[in-house]
Amino acid sequence: MINSSIYSNDAILSVKGLKKYYGATKAVDDVDFDIKPGEIVSIIGRSGAGKSTVMRCINRLVLRDEGSITFEGMEITNKMSPKQLREARSRIGFIFQNYNLVYRLTVFQNVMHGRLGYMSTLDGVLGRYSEEDKMKAYNIIETLGLNEQLYQRAADLSGGQKQRVAIARALMQEPSLLMCDEPIASLDPVTSRTIMELIVSQARERGIACLINLHQVDFAKEYSTRIIGMRDGKLVFDGSSAILTDDMISYIYKGDDNRLGNQSVDMQISNKPVEEYNIV
Amino acid sequence: MSDYKTIPKKIKEQRKFYAITFTVIALLYIIATIQTKFNPFDFFFKMGNFFDFLLNELLPPNFELSGGLGLISLVMQNIGMSIIPTFFGGIIAFCLSFLTSYSTAPNRVIAIILRGLASFQRNLPSAIWLMILVMAFGIGTTVGVLALTINTIGYLLRGFADVLDEVGKESMEAIDSVGARYLPKLFQCVIPAALPGFISWLLYAIEINILSSTVIGAVGGGGIGMIMMSHWKLFRFRTSFGIILALAVTVIVVNSLTDYLRKRVIR
Repeated sequence: MINSSIYSNDAILSVKGLKKYYGATKAVDDVDFDIKPGEIVSIIGRSGAGKSTVMRCINRLVLRDEGSITFEGMEITNKMSPKQLREARSRIGFIFQNYNLVYRLTVFQNVMHGRLGYMSTLDGVLGRYSEEDKMKAYNIIETLGLNEQLYQRAADLSGGQKQRVAIARALMQEPSLLMCDEPIASLDPVTSRTIMELIVSQARERGIACLINLHQVDFAKEYSTRIIGMRDGKLVFDGSSAILTDDMISYIYKGDDNRLGNQSVDMQISNKPVEEYNIV
Repeated sequence: MSDYKTIPKKIKEQRKFYAITFTVIALLYIIATIQTKFNPFDFFFKMGNFFDFLLNELLPPNFELSGGLGLISLVMQNIGMSIIPTFFGGIIAFCLSFLTSYSTAPNRVIAIILRGLASFQRNLPSAIWLMILVMAFGIGTTVGVLALTINTIGYLLRGFADVLDEVGKESMEAIDSVGARYLPKLFQCVIPAALPGFISWLLYAIEINILSSTVIGAVGGGGIGMIMMSHWKLFRFRTSFGIILALAVTVIVVNSLTDYLRKRVIR
């Protein structure tokens, strides 16, 4: 549980001058932003704009080249001890585009994985979860409407159900920050809406700050309290959805400056290339 | 288009490539034949001898072994000689595979060394190990089992490591991101995902070891192969042939059993 009196005024996450290069490519180029407790922030941008890399630098799935990241007052460095890194990671939920479950295990087992960050090696190896944790998992699973699938193998679930398992796993961590990397990119529009609503409502209810990478500008506008726009690794917009103009959107999504504003925004967004997300 | 009477199915370069490849293979065959003085027509000239031996010396097979172990217990021993190396080789390969696969190895240098050793070992036939081990421990089943175990560790380690390499990097990333320690990550994520692959390799090892335990036995590793060879050397070809047929049945039964198990496990 976060001690809200300590963090309520301060940012829970602070990113300053973040840089990450892949060879000569600047995946993330000097990005600064803060996230306060309870905020729901979307990052929008084209594939390869660096959204995913920013997230992965924060929980250090990717090592950064420059800049500083502070989470709950703790500096996340490339040289922090494994113990400190695990501590920080256990406080940050992460939801992936491809759900990243262990598909041969049951829904319940996958959800319980959220507790591994808090357990000793032996308990973790043997999967000795406390009854209290199991009860908590059951309640979360019920809230997310998965109780009928409790002992089904994750492989047998639909895409939307898989993502709900991933959300449950993240909630089991009792995180103070939830990072969602394209959480709905593999889902159909109806399921996408359900998943977005679940993420946002659960985050609100539990007072978890949210950072969500999104392709869909309309979803970003609808669900977030603040939007960050990224383009070619640079942060080009940071503000509420009210001040996110159509010109700004087309600037964020346009690869080519010359044609800026010539087409309708909707056209540009729907025509944006759906490349694979490998580079970042 | 006007150059061709029909529309070519392949471009010219490709056809040229196939022609060259075919010529090279034909040349290699001719050179090899000259080198080994192998006469492909010998078989036809001496066909008479072959059928003579087959009909008069090998048939009918004799399934009753005089003295010592009966055929059934020999077959059981043969199966045992393939299960024990699979068991021990499997345990050792299991432990080492986590250090060998690049996706789970805590240390990359150790991974490279282990990988090299496994590859080197995999290319050594178990008979070579047997020859070395016989010098130290003498002839017998123990040496046969030992040689098979060493060989099994080699290819199982390589196989297990490949299975681990293919375990989704994605699920491991998720377990890392909840802040799990290394061993819990292996036991809660990697091993459950790798289990079908591991079991499939173990079943394969049983299949391989049933065959190689016979060969190993024939060159001094004990078991059914040695008995078969000793009858052969005493010109009791019918008894040897009986053993060979019993072996063939064993191999077919064991293979269909492992096939069945494999299908059950991998779903």
